[in-house]
Amino acid sequence: MAAPLDISAYPPDGMEIRLIERFTTLKGRRILEVGCGDGRLTFQYAPTAREILAIDPDRPSIEDALDEQAALRVPNVTFRVGSIEQLPARGAPFDVALFSWSL
Amino acid sequence: MVHALRRAGQRLRSGGSLISIRPHETQLPLVSIITPSRRMPVARLPTPGFDDRQSAADAALERVVAERRFALTGIRNHRYRSLLDNPSQLRTYLELIIPPRPRFPPGRRARLHELWRSRPPGSKIEIAEWIVVTALRRR
Repeated sequence: MAAPLDISAYPPDGMEIRLIERFTTLKGRRILEVGCGDGRLTFQYAPTAREILAIDPDRPSIEDALDEQAALRVPNVTFRVGSIEQLPARGAPFDVALFSWSL
Repeated sequence: MVHALRRAGQRLRSGGSLISIRPHETQLPLVSIITPSRRMPVARLPTPGFDDRQSAADAALERVVAERRFALTGIRNHRYRSLLDNPSQLRTYLELIIPPRPRFPPGRRARLHELWRSRPPGSKIEIAEWIVVTALRRR
């Protein structure tokens, strides 16, 4: 049987996090991720973040993220279907808002 | 887009960071064939509708800075490369990109196949892409 192809059109794991952390640390922070998709980037920084709200309007992508979250046992991420415009204007403040390939 | 940035600003603490990661506006993905001895650029891949979207994103970021909701912390461009074994993998790679997807200009896909057929052993297809990271700080 042929080996599965490991092809991604995104940067290698860790590269985006290193670029972000030239501006701000994600460690111990409360983070809002907008356009999280299937959590590809979320799961890279979740181990060091304090708490993450990750949103995306695409329900199948969020369902994939929830499956991966269960498999990886990542407790500090809340995945939600929706757009940032649907987020209440008031609420506990975030330290970082991350628009990951979503502007 | 500007509404999304404003809402993010409402939910950020004072001094909090807004980070945008997105494809570079003008540095188009570049497909090359890499042989053991040389690099042969084949095509830059434009994406239909991409310029308008990127211009709108730039305008939105500039707008929230002009409104003094945010201050610009910095901008960094970065290139990353993926090496693929054959044109079939390149097709898969491009299909993985969320639409709108980059496309080969007329004649360049045929050129890729022509060069690939005459490649020396050990050759790869390289796709180089650029991203831009923009960081703002909430005032």
